[in-house]
Amino acid sequence: MVRTMVKRSKKAKTMRKLIKAIWIFNWFNSCGFAELVPVVGSRWDMERFGMIIVGTPRHADVLFIAGYQTLKSIKRAKRVYEQMAEPRVVIALGSCTMTGGMYWDSYNTIKRLEDYLPVTMYIPGCPPRPEAIFEACEKIFEHVKELE
Amino acid sequence: MDKKETEFLDEIKSKFKVDGKIQRKQRIWLSTDENKLVEIGKWLKDRGFVHLSAVSVTDWLEEGKYEITYHLWSYDDKILVTVKTKIDRTNPAIDSVAQIWKENAQIHERELHELFGVKFKGNQDLFPLFLDDWQGPAPFRKDFDWRDYVRGEFYDEENEREKVYYD
Amino acid sequence: MIEEMKSAPKGSEYDLYFGPAHPGSGNFGVKLKIDGEKVVSARADPGYLHRGFEKLMEYRTPIQNAVLSDRICILEPLNWNLIHAEAVDELMDIDVPERAKYLRVIMAELSRIQSHIIWYGVFSKGIGFDTGFKMAFGYRDYILDLFELITGGRVYPAGYICPGGVRRDFPKNAKEKILKVIDKINDMIKLEELENPSMDARAKGVGILKVEDAIRLGATGPVLRGSGMNTDVRKDEPYEIYDRLDFEVPIRKEGDAYARYWIGIEEMKESIKIVKQALENLPMGNVIVSNFKKPKLNVKIPEGEVYIRNEVARGEAAVYMVSDGGSNPYRCKIRGPDFLHMIPVLEYLLKGVQIADVPAIYWSLNICPADMDR
Repeated sequence: MVRTMVKRSKKAKTMRKLIKAIWIFNWFNSCGFAELVPVVGSRWDMERFGMIIVGTPRHADVLFIAGYQTLKSIKRAKRVYEQMAEPRVVIALGSCTMTGGMYWDSYNTIKRLEDYLPVTMYIPGCPPRPEAIFEACEKIFEHVKELE
Repeated sequence: MDKKETEFLDEIKSKFKVDGKIQRKQRIWLSTDENKLVEIGKWLKDRGFVHLSAVSVTDWLEEGKYEITYHLWSYDDKILVTVKTKIDRTNPAIDSVAQIWKENAQIHERELHELFGVKFKGNQDLFPLFLDDWQGPAPFRKDFDWRDYVRGEFYDEENEREKVYYD
Repeated sequence: MIEEMKSAPKGSEYDLYFGPAHPGSGNFGVKLKIDGEKVVSARADPGYLHRGFEKLMEYRTPIQNAVLSDRICILEPLNWNLIHAEAVDELMDIDVPERAKYLRVIMAELSRIQSHIIWYGVFSKGIGFDTGFKMAFGYRDYILDLFELITGGRVYPAGYICPGGVRRDFPKNAKEKILKVIDKINDMIKLEELENPSMDARAKGVGILKVEDAIRLGATGPVLRGSGMNTDVRKDEPYEIYDRLDFEVPIRKEGDAYARYWIGIEEMKESIKIVKQALENLPMGNVIVSNFKKPKLNVKIPEGEVYIRNEVARGEAAVYMVSDGGSNPYRCKIRGPDFLHMIPVLEYLLKGVQIADVPAIYWSLNICPADMDR
């Protein structure tokens, strides 16, 4: 019991050290919507860590590519990525961004996102749970610190 | 089985030359000639089949035919009628029903034109709906093997992780 | 002055792209032609989520397709599970056990409630009422927890409703938990029903769809009922156990965005009624027929064709399945309600409105791009 409390407070300390809030641009394809929006919603509420979803990629630090990309949407995703300012991070959600996932034999979806965009982190799952997204966000905090 | 289904089937059989059967309650299947389609469609619309639920194409590769099915629902009679017709597969073309069911039919035909390559004569707008600069054949045809295409296009047999896709 | 504006030269028209990365649109674009603040014409630009489900299903057996069918519409996977399972059931002439029918209906209605909550949330967001958005997604999580308890997945049930019945029975305390969650949803509905000035101001009289136009454009479900047509697939051709249940079909005559929103709220109440009735009368027994208990890959589907219609949260969904006697379906046409709501209906409604009304109209149609593109 005591140990977990210590652990938690340690985590809280690292969180407090952060000076910069992470702004996210959410390029959600289907399941990304179903599982990322709850993270924004009142139960998980990512805003308590200073993370918010912004309306334009020009203000964003992190690009969430949530779910499979079709040949049509990856073109737009690239355009979105090009508009983002440095330092920028791409996080890919879901198995379908890694290998094709459920849609491995579909003619219209891309199979590996890293062929198209420099992916910093993958979150596996179909779709990943909100806890996994939080863990990833925690890691981005670290990553952003390294970048600065 | 309800009376209305048999009544409807008798009525349409007395008017047109169609084959028909009652599959179960509220389901009637009709098959007709390709050039009779618009005429029957007009009559059906006046009969109350105002809702075109779906249009679909089945690709019968061995037979060399495309089977086009129109699924129609009547809000008054509460029965679903499927009208089927077969056209040639190599150069598929059929009269559009967009003049009967308007925008509803138009958009269904636009989709099928893209996915199966069927030409709907009389439909003004057959611009591609889903795909951006697609060069290949009509993707939903049976002779276009997706797995072969995907293996050639996206995967690498040498890759340890992707070997499983070649089984 | 107004005359002058009316006769402004053609050069004052410009293009405005709504989507595909717009925070309120989902993966779907609309190209709007704008004159001043007014939309002159709209053209839908779908295809960002096109995976080709219809053909993916031709490569897979029914057991695999049960899992794939979740993904057709991400916001109401269980309803699509149900419709796929029904198609295979009818083709193979399977008599689904009584208890499984009840479980299927309970899950489908919970999924419908969940989908309507999302609708309320994004519609509130669209008209600039953020509290509604946060509230909706908070309450939706209670139902997702139920799904996790029963099916094992928060969003996708992984083929819970499969051909032959349902994959597994309810856990022991599921009934009490469902009733508890339903009470909470009831509280939420009471909050949503409160008089809301921003809802009145932004949604009333906006995006009016007359009933004859709605039928011509192929609208179904809440959109058609909001225009005053009394129709519901659950009543017109009852599937599963809907003929034994007592529920009403809410109808509204106005046909504007507010009417459609109101239908959504009323339908949640009816769904709650259905779930309560089904839970009360839940019979004991098997939940899956014996030859589907252990998933077998090479079950032959007898030759034939079926057309199955279901009422999902967004309207009429249908599957046209053809089998040539093999173990995979020969052809599986999927008819999603949003295919018509998002292209002809939306294009028609957006013509001539103010730009500020576009999100309200867009979300009042209860839109999910995934089942349009398939």
